[in-house]
Amino acid sequence: MSLNTAIRFTEVYQKYQNEHPAIREIMCLREQFPQSLQPILADDIVAGRYKRELIRFTPHACDELGYCFDEQALRNELDRSGTDESRKQIINDMISFWDTEQTETKVRAAYPLEMAAILPSDNWNSEPGISFPLYRMCGANLDFDTLMQLGIPGMKDVIEKHKQYAETTNGDVIFYEGMLLALDLLSDICLYYAEQAEQLSLTTTNSVRQQQLKEMAVNLNHIHNTKPTTFGEAIQLFWLYSIVSGVRNYGRMDVYLGDFLASDLKTGVLDEGKALQYAQSLWRLIAFTHTIYESRIIIGGMGRRNPSNADTFAMLAMEATRTVLEGEPQLSLRWYNGMDEALLDKAMSCIAEGRTYPILYNDDVNVRAVEEAFALGRHEAEQYVPFGCGEYIIEHRSMGTPSGVINLLKALEVTLHNGIDPITGKKIGISTGEINQFTNFEQLLQAYKTQVEHFVEVTADQEELEYKVVGDNAAYLYSSILYDDCLDNGKSLFAGGVRYLGGTLESYGNINTADSLLAIKECVFEKGDYTLEELVHILDVNFEGYDQALNQLKGVTKFGNDDPRADKMAADVHDHICKFIQIQSERTGLDSYLNVTINNQANTLMGKWTSASADGRKYGQSMSNGNTPSGGSDRKGLTALLNSMATLDPNIHAGVVHNLKCSKELLVEQKEQFRALLKTYFSRGGTQLMVTVVNRSELEQAMIEPDKYTHIFVRVGGFSARFVELSNEVQRDVLSRTLY
Amino acid sequence: MKDGTVFDIQRFALHDGPGIRTTVFLKGCPLRCAWCHNPESQSRVKEYSFHYEKCVQCLKSGHVCESGVRFASQSDSSLSSSKKIDALGEVLIHDRTVINESCVESCPYHAIKVVGEIMNVEDILHEVMKDQDYYVASGGGMTISGGEPMVQFELVKQLAMEAKKQDVHTCLDTSGYAPQKQYAEIAPYIDLFLFDYKATDASLHAKLTGVSNEQILSNLKFLSEIGASIILRCPLIPGINDSEEHLQGIARVAREIPSLIALNIMAYHDMGVYKATEIGNPSPLQQIKTADEQMKAGWLNTLKALGCQNVSFG
Repeated sequence: MSLNTAIRFTEVYQKYQNEHPAIREIMCLREQFPQSLQPILADDIVAGRYKRELIRFTPHACDELGYCFDEQALRNELDRSGTDESRKQIINDMISFWDTEQTETKVRAAYPLEMAAILPSDNWNSEPGISFPLYRMCGANLDFDTLMQLGIPGMKDVIEKHKQYAETTNGDVIFYEGMLLALDLLSDICLYYAEQAEQLSLTTTNSVRQQQLKEMAVNLNHIHNTKPTTFGEAIQLFWLYSIVSGVRNYGRMDVYLGDFLASDLKTGVLDEGKALQYAQSLWRLIAFTHTIYESRIIIGGMGRRNPSNADTFAMLAMEATRTVLEGEPQLSLRWYNGMDEALLDKAMSCIAEGRTYPILYNDDVNVRAVEEAFALGRHEAEQYVPFGCGEYIIEHRSMGTPSGVINLLKALEVTLHNGIDPITGKKIGISTGEINQFTNFEQLLQAYKTQVEHFVEVTADQEELEYKVVGDNAAYLYSSILYDDCLDNGKSLFAGGVRYLGGTLESYGNINTADSLLAIKECVFEKGDYTLEELVHILDVNFEGYDQALNQLKGVTKFGNDDPRADKMAADVHDHICKFIQIQSERTGLDSYLNVTINNQANTLMGKWTSASADGRKYGQSMSNGNTPSGGSDRKGLTALLNSMATLDPNIHAGVVHNLKCSKELLVEQKEQFRALLKTYFSRGGTQLMVTVVNRSELEQAMIEPDKYTHIFVRVGGFSARFVELSNEVQRDVLSRTLY
Repeated sequence: MKDGTVFDIQRFALHDGPGIRTTVFLKGCPLRCAWCHNPESQSRVKEYSFHYEKCVQCLKSGHVCESGVRFASQSDSSLSSSKKIDALGEVLIHDRTVINESCVESCPYHAIKVVGEIMNVEDILHEVMKDQDYYVASGGGMTISGGEPMVQFELVKQLAMEAKKQDVHTCLDTSGYAPQKQYAEIAPYIDLFLFDYKATDASLHAKLTGVSNEQILSNLKFLSEIGASIILRCPLIPGINDSEEHLQGIARVAREIPSLIALNIMAYHDMGVYKATEIGNPSPLQQIKTADEQMKAGWLNTLKALGCQNVSFG
């Protein structure tokens, strides 16, 4: 079945290969949908489950780019096809076709020689390296508010008008035709699920379920050609649009669903129980997408057109998160002084139950910071949304996919070896000078910075190039419909349509780098306990036989203790990487290019390929997570930790994450103190906080008897996960963090 | 500014008075409470803390300890200025005086800590003021604790005065064992006294703490009379001082303080036993276990039945 879809998808792609990208895309999508849609399950009251086909167009996932295929699965089909030689031939032909035609290959193929030399590998998680490219266009946040208000027919009218204008002005009419066909396909999908729901309602014997299925069919039939009027219809339309558009981050849901919810509750169309069922069903559908790193839903914050109704939805969302025990969606609460305290109360209760959500964002700092970092006015800055692991973009106005990673600690390691990677012995960086030539700390620091800058420039160029290749290859029809200013410009999202084409670069190891630099500064250049060569030798041998040196290096003050020496160094490293990334927008065609210090497992996976560092971290150990101190090095208490974290300049990046691990007692028995703590941290400039509530013995026990502890969720970095499903390394990393 | 010996400054302290606080622990205590949670606070001066089991392993492997830890020989047996300790069936000995702090880093077994740091009022206050906005937001402040902080009276007084100048709420955590004149002098700068009440029976008090309770009770009466805000803190150790008579004593004393804010029960926890061993002063309460929930509920019910209001575990 799936192989047949792949064959047809390929045939259609080939047939339209040289047509307008919009037409090629919609023709392919018509093969992809509804074939890749999964049946309604027993507890769904909203329809829509999607499963990846072997070959597909994936607009916005974080792990693949545009037209892509699952080579291994196709090879498995090859093994399964038995003696049918003609079938084998078809599969082999598909593999070789997509090998060069998939979007990712096209991006890599477009690299100029120098870029290919500086970024030789794409295997960021299994090879040593300073910087790697990533292939994806993730983080789109669509204008669902407009969709909710106009519905499918209203959107078609808008597109039709643009199309007519394009006809008279020699514009790209085909682009608009593609969009209209895309909405027709969405309409068909509504009817597809409506029919399925009706069929299911005929066969079920459970009267409650029968009623649910009938309502589902009614909702689906309604939205296929009429704008939504109820909460149930609105949720349904939102969700199917999300599936076809491939977006995996859902933006300010409280704004675009809040009015429907409040109105239905007021008129009695819904009671709170039923409303919660809708939200829970949606939450389960989102969990089914299993993106791990994405699925953000934003509630609260400045710049909402309907704060009271939005708050009603925000409370419902937190209750859904509290009661649906999944790692996704990643519910995020934007908070500012003056918002209804009931929301913060609810958030703290939810966190206290160990749900790790909502993630907390401080609008009193962030809106201003976004204005600065993105060079935007306040009105637009208020529409910032964190996506994925914590990168900001401006909802339906900007894109900012992270298409590169940089390991700062590896950059320092390579700098200490004059461009050579000590793990492989290969030259992977630039020569910045032999270490015995550095007569003061500033020279070393400058060498490190030069090393980093070398890679930042090329990743910025790579980001721009990746957008260009993608824009040439696909119209991103569904996203372009709901993204400013694609309709007005008559251009698709990545071909000049989007209002602000930004980019982001993920940096890792920031805190270890700062702590290492300080240790070198103090032990080598200030106290003279070692020469730099001696120290580098100690690192090269992973401290073997140098216990005293290890103790001494560990004893140098670290970030996270409210100590100005360590915090200043962290700020210097932060300022440098952020500002150098930021100025790349002046050199490239990007509207912004910003640092994100977010996290996933990259701190652990890239740590494996990073040698011992002068902060006392041993070869292969995890690097610290986001803007969080290295495990266990924050020893001065929670206020000291938060004060350190709040010192880094928020105005020069697009998202930095801060993990905190607390005991349940702190949030339950000392709730008011925790509230005061949080608010003070925010008033001191803290941008964000994600709180895992857990006790250490539970985690230790969970490593021994995983089956009994599947209920424990921890915040790893950019995502939350069931603790028992994490690798041992990541589990150890989580355990190593200080528990407050 | 006055110097003192500080053994810890604990930020985000939630159990030493209201709100979010920073607790400054000073070294030195004239009492020797059998259950002491902070035995490393008793001596007025800096001292070594050792992980003796590691020391035994280290010495057996042939190392010579730079900090002077060694196996005791016959000739050491009469040395009163040294500490002797049994660990893993061996008798160890070392000098009291901290001679070389760099041994903390050089110890190959990471077995040594130095307890105590000389700081002046300005340094301490600098650390305390880092969290001033948390105090304001939570109704918290600074708590001076020990040891018995009044042992370093001049430091305590200056610290409290300076804190008040900067509008920081101040608590003094005291055993009450200091000259009354000093309490009179410091009272204007202390917003809240966390005053210990350890044993009702005079002879039991002397036995458990090493000092008479006469002066303590007199100071409590004095502070009560001048209207100082007081939280009475009562350590209860299973089988040692949790008698009906003592609980009645607590209730009686509590009734007699008009300015009493609350009554805190400090249920015994055996963490001090291990810490005592590390500094070479084995605790006399080796056999006493941490108070369990049932025990704690029993104490609470009794005190409530005796008319105590606002009782909680501190």
